[in-house]
Amino acid sequence: MAGAAHPEAMAPPKKGPTRTAPPRMPESWWGAQRIRTYLLFGATGIVYFVAGTVVLKLAWALGTGPEAWDRALGNLSHPLYLIFHALTLVSLIFVGLRAFGTMMPKMQPRNGPLPVLAAGTVKGLFLSVWVALTVLLGLVLAGKIFP
Amino acid sequence: MAESNKRMRVEILRFDPDKDEVPRSQEYEIPVQEDWKVLDAINYIKDEVDPTVSHRWSCRMAVCGSCGMMVNGEPKLTCKTSLSDYEGSIKIEPLANFPIVRDLVVDMDGFMDKFRKVKPWIVRAKERAEDMENLSEKGTYSQSPAELATFKQFSMCINCLLCYAACPVIANEPDFIGPAAIALGHRYNLDSRDEGDRGRNEIFRGEGTVFSCSFANECSEVCPKNVDPAAAVNQAKLAAVVDWAKGLILPREGA
Repeated sequence: MAGAAHPEAMAPPKKGPTRTAPPRMPESWWGAQRIRTYLLFGATGIVYFVAGTVVLKLAWALGTGPEAWDRALGNLSHPLYLIFHALTLVSLIFVGLRAFGTMMPKMQPRNGPLPVLAAGTVKGLFLSVWVALTVLLGLVLAGKIFP
Repeated sequence: MAESNKRMRVEILRFDPDKDEVPRSQEYEIPVQEDWKVLDAINYIKDEVDPTVSHRWSCRMAVCGSCGMMVNGEPKLTCKTSLSDYEGSIKIEPLANFPIVRDLVVDMDGFMDKFRKVKPWIVRAKERAEDMENLSEKGTYSQSPAELATFKQFSMCINCLLCYAACPVIANEPDFIGPAAIALGHRYNLDSRDEGDRGRNEIFRGEGTVFSCSFANECSEVCPKNVDPAAAVNQAKLAAVVDWAKGLILPREGA
């Protein structure tokens, strides 16, 4: 084992008479295949942080005036921005799939009035809502509804 | 014991509190059988090579939960893990995130303390005598198969503590109650015979809160009994919030 865990991790309530070696984390916990998904999940937070600053910048430009707003919109068509937008979309889809596909089926309350649905059903419902919202937004952006 | 031509290098983390400042590795090269589990290799070393090696084990059939160790960095029940899954060499260490008492033996008192906090037993609201009077009329602790099904999965926990060794939150937040204790606390909250959910929910919301869990899902991945502690922890989060919200609008008993 390599990396030190918190020195008090799983420490007993009262120190015993025997000297113990401090708790350690597994040597390659961060490199294990399984935990990479979790680390990627956490890393998407960086993408959302940057995306948040872009939104703030746009809001600032909107408040500054029409010229600043047009300039900011023009900047968004820069290839780097487009790549970043694609990365943000991939991040959102990844987090959505993990949160709603893996976590939500597990989180269903067992002791309430609602039935516990099969994991596949929850995923199916999530994907249906996702597709419906995407179609709705597509129609709005295309000017087919709410022109 | 049948002779075998196959040999394997087994690296074991050793720690003698009377001699060692820090844990050290020791290698053994031993003959192994095709059908051996990792525990068989450790037992062979203990019996035939080095009797000073210390480890815990008992049932050899994934029921007692004693023989949890890190095998090549992964938390495993060594009686359930086939040696044939590994080629050439294998590294065995005590469970991660626990203080090491000696060699492969870890100090479990920290877990037992957390475990006690969630009251892993049936709590009844009334005194025993009054409770028994009521129960005698409708049958002692009767429970339907559907009621049993709501918590049965979580009652399968054998306290092997692999989930604690896998949890990245436990490694960094010592107060976090952790997967097995929450799963068993939640198990009793779901039990139709239990009336102690309010107290447990307060514990879940308080120190060592269930909300420390960031859903790494590692606990469920390594669980040898398919208890799915991550499900329990996340259901407990929801239940703790609902209980808190109820407390805002409904009067508490004794309030």
